[in-house]
Amino acid sequence: MAAMIDVEALTKSYGSKRGITDVSFQVEEGDVFGFLGPNGAGKTTTIRLLMALLHPDAGSARIAGLDCWKQSVDIKRLTGYMPGEPALDPNLTGGQILEYFAHLRGGVDQAYLKQLIQRFELDTSRKFRQYSTGNKRKVVLIQAFMHRPRLLILDEPTNGLDPLNQQEFDRMVLEGRNEGRTFLLSSHVLSEVEKTCSTVGIIREGRLVRTGDVAEVKAIKRYEITITFASAVPTESFKSLEGVIDVETLPHGHGVHLTMQGPADAVVKAAAHYPVVSLTSYEPSLEDIFLRYYEGDGPRATDKDNVA
Amino acid sequence: MWLSSVFLKTLRDYRIPIFGWGIGMGLVVVSPMASVAALVTTPQARAQLASLAATFAWNADVVAVDTIGGYATFKIGIFIFLIAVWPLLAASRMLRGEEETSTLDVLLSVPRPRLRVALEKVAAMWTALLAMGLLIGLIVFAGGQKFGADFGLGNGLLFGLNLALICAVIGGLALLISQFTQERGTAAGWTAGLLLIFVVLDMVHRVVANSEWISRLSPIYYYNQTKALVPGYGVNVGAMLLLLALTLILSGAALWLFVRRDVGGTVSVPRWLRLPEQAASQALPVRDLSLRSVYARGIGMIAMPTLWWTLGIAGFAGWMVFAVQQMASRLSSLLASSPAAMNLIKNIGGGSASFEAGFLSAIFVLLPLLLMAFAVTQVNGWTADEQDGRLELVLAAPQRRLGVLLARFAALASSTVFIGVVTLLAAAGAAIITGVRVDSGNLAAATLGIIPLGLLVAAVGYLAAGWLRTAADTGLLSFLLLIWFFISFIGPELQLPDATLRLSPFYYYGSPLLHGLAFTSVVGLVAVAAVALGLGALRFVRKDIGV
Repeated sequence: MAAMIDVEALTKSYGSKRGITDVSFQVEEGDVFGFLGPNGAGKTTTIRLLMALLHPDAGSARIAGLDCWKQSVDIKRLTGYMPGEPALDPNLTGGQILEYFAHLRGGVDQAYLKQLIQRFELDTSRKFRQYSTGNKRKVVLIQAFMHRPRLLILDEPTNGLDPLNQQEFDRMVLEGRNEGRTFLLSSHVLSEVEKTCSTVGIIREGRLVRTGDVAEVKAIKRYEITITFASAVPTESFKSLEGVIDVETLPHGHGVHLTMQGPADAVVKAAAHYPVVSLTSYEPSLEDIFLRYYEGDGPRATDKDNVA
Repeated sequence: MWLSSVFLKTLRDYRIPIFGWGIGMGLVVVSPMASVAALVTTPQARAQLASLAATFAWNADVVAVDTIGGYATFKIGIFIFLIAVWPLLAASRMLRGEEETSTLDVLLSVPRPRLRVALEKVAAMWTALLAMGLLIGLIVFAGGQKFGADFGLGNGLLFGLNLALICAVIGGLALLISQFTQERGTAAGWTAGLLLIFVVLDMVHRVVANSEWISRLSPIYYYNQTKALVPGYGVNVGAMLLLLALTLILSGAALWLFVRRDVGGTVSVPRWLRLPEQAASQALPVRDLSLRSVYARGIGMIAMPTLWWTLGIAGFAGWMVFAVQQMASRLSSLLASSPAAMNLIKNIGGGSASFEAGFLSAIFVLLPLLLMAFAVTQVNGWTADEQDGRLELVLAAPQRRLGVLLARFAALASSTVFIGVVTLLAAAGAAIITGVRVDSGNLAAATLGIIPLGLLVAAVGYLAAGWLRTAADTGLLSFLLLIWFFISFIGPELQLPDATLRLSPFYYYGSPLLHGLAFTSVVGLVAVAAVALGLGALRFVRKDIGV
């Protein structure tokens, strides 16, 4: 089966300013793809290329087998889009905006639209300029979902939403995934990607540095184990074990703090030779992965290492 | 240094307008000097010029128009509307514009009293206006020297100061109005409307006898009391002090209100003046016809500006038809004593045409200019929609880019047609009521003939929008309008070659009230507009949106 999104060597620059360079990734139908990166990394540029708002300098982007530039109207029929910085006519009410876009889409199921309005508890009688940031995003989020699209491209969708509405959004993504819809979510809130996404792409300085499913990305990162023993142990013996990157002796000498990468089997077996009081493993989070790829000594963009 | 205070930072923001507007307006004042220097070579020519100017007395006081300074003062009469555009826009943007973009929130978070921040901004605008006035004064003086005028540097500077004062009044008014509106555009619109009313009020006493008390209600009247470039007329210190007082009162009231209201909010009006609050609702406006398509939405967006511009343009045309007989009776004795002027009017009127028709024809050349100005404002809306990201979601819907552009252009075209038709109805109605003799076919040509010119400006604006941002596009169109206007209306006096005169679209409009419209001219204008729109569309369907 063809990928829902197929991006191949996509490149875009803004004159002398960098946009994205040679970005390639695929998103399978029914997948929830998290697109991670710091501000200015190229997430929005990639998304706007997919939506044919920008013309690529090189490379190709296809959605459902259709060329994103040449067949953009057909693509937009099956796509729901939420821009990162929604701007709409400030003098229209939320209800007018939703009706207008419903008409531009050739009509939508009004009952479903009302259901979405109720889910987000949106007051549709207020003008767009009178809405708070969160309510503005609700309007745009509803218009992205209201025609039950096969694909949703959402640029930092929960930015500005309160926790309750973020939960509602998470539920809608899960429901959408269960219904077979595909999502591309850009975010720098890693916990939300961890909650909702099955695959992840990390973009840095305009280049995609890693793609893979969430579990795989977690597996390749460093993690930490703290072991406390009943008595002092020779901590040097842990240094040469497989998977151990760094060893730090705890202040009283009765324990070790290990920085790990890879399996912990050798460490567990070595620790078993001593009376263990406690063993704590710190689960890797996407924050760690994110930091690793964006901190100064992290791998450069050229160290592209797809695990997918 | 320029970023060390709010005053200096604001002044820095105004540096391009100071030079651009100052030099531009200075040249606007100087350009008639060149023509009058060539015109008033004999006493007979002086008499003819004075008589001819009297027929345009509605525009400005006819005082010593056979002198270089007097003629320049007379000629720029109605251009006060143009000169006041910058302070109007700058003042409505000064606080309200920064509140819209939330930049004022950050500025007011620094440990500095709100009044001081606002006062520094206002002071920067006054300083900018004085700098513009200085530039205009210097350029006017230099122009006067070149063409042998009999006014000195002091007169030039006082002329610039008087301009700066009236601009400060209009700016103060815009600042005050912006305290009551949520958006800067609304404040600018209301101020522009009031400015138009002030201009008309000032005209009244020159057209209708014993109506000076009406004109005294307009600040423009007090601006016109000073004619620093007119030898022997000089400066009316009282009028200038009154303008200064008005500036202080309006700006002071605006600042007083600003420090007492919520930032981002408006001045609280009494409960009985407020609109009833709408209850929260989750209903959808399913029957709203203006939401059915991009074209319908375009019409919805343009409807209110169209209404106001229609009132202005059609009202102007109708009023002129009403007033023409009264003017004719006032001028009849003057014209009788000046056979040369009478001949000139007859020549303009095509020999056998009535005085009314000839006079109206001269006035009606302002109609296409006004419609073109309307087109400029609406092109500004189109480019702003793209620049501010409001097109992004529309283009993310399954709509072709070409369709979106053409739908928006069609909405603008519909409005220009509407304005043209209502102008025809207003002028024809006024002619029937007053009995003014005007050929009905030519009246239709003169009013409906403005439509292609409006479309041309819109199409050129859409074309330029493919590359330029809002301010640059609007600036370019305004510049073109100014250049075209001067080519057509000053060019003949400067004896510009025919090839140059043909560069202006006004050339192809001609004098339709007298001679009808040349079919080839209309077709030519429409063809150029179509080509511009086609190229604009070609660019739009290929360009990056919002970059």
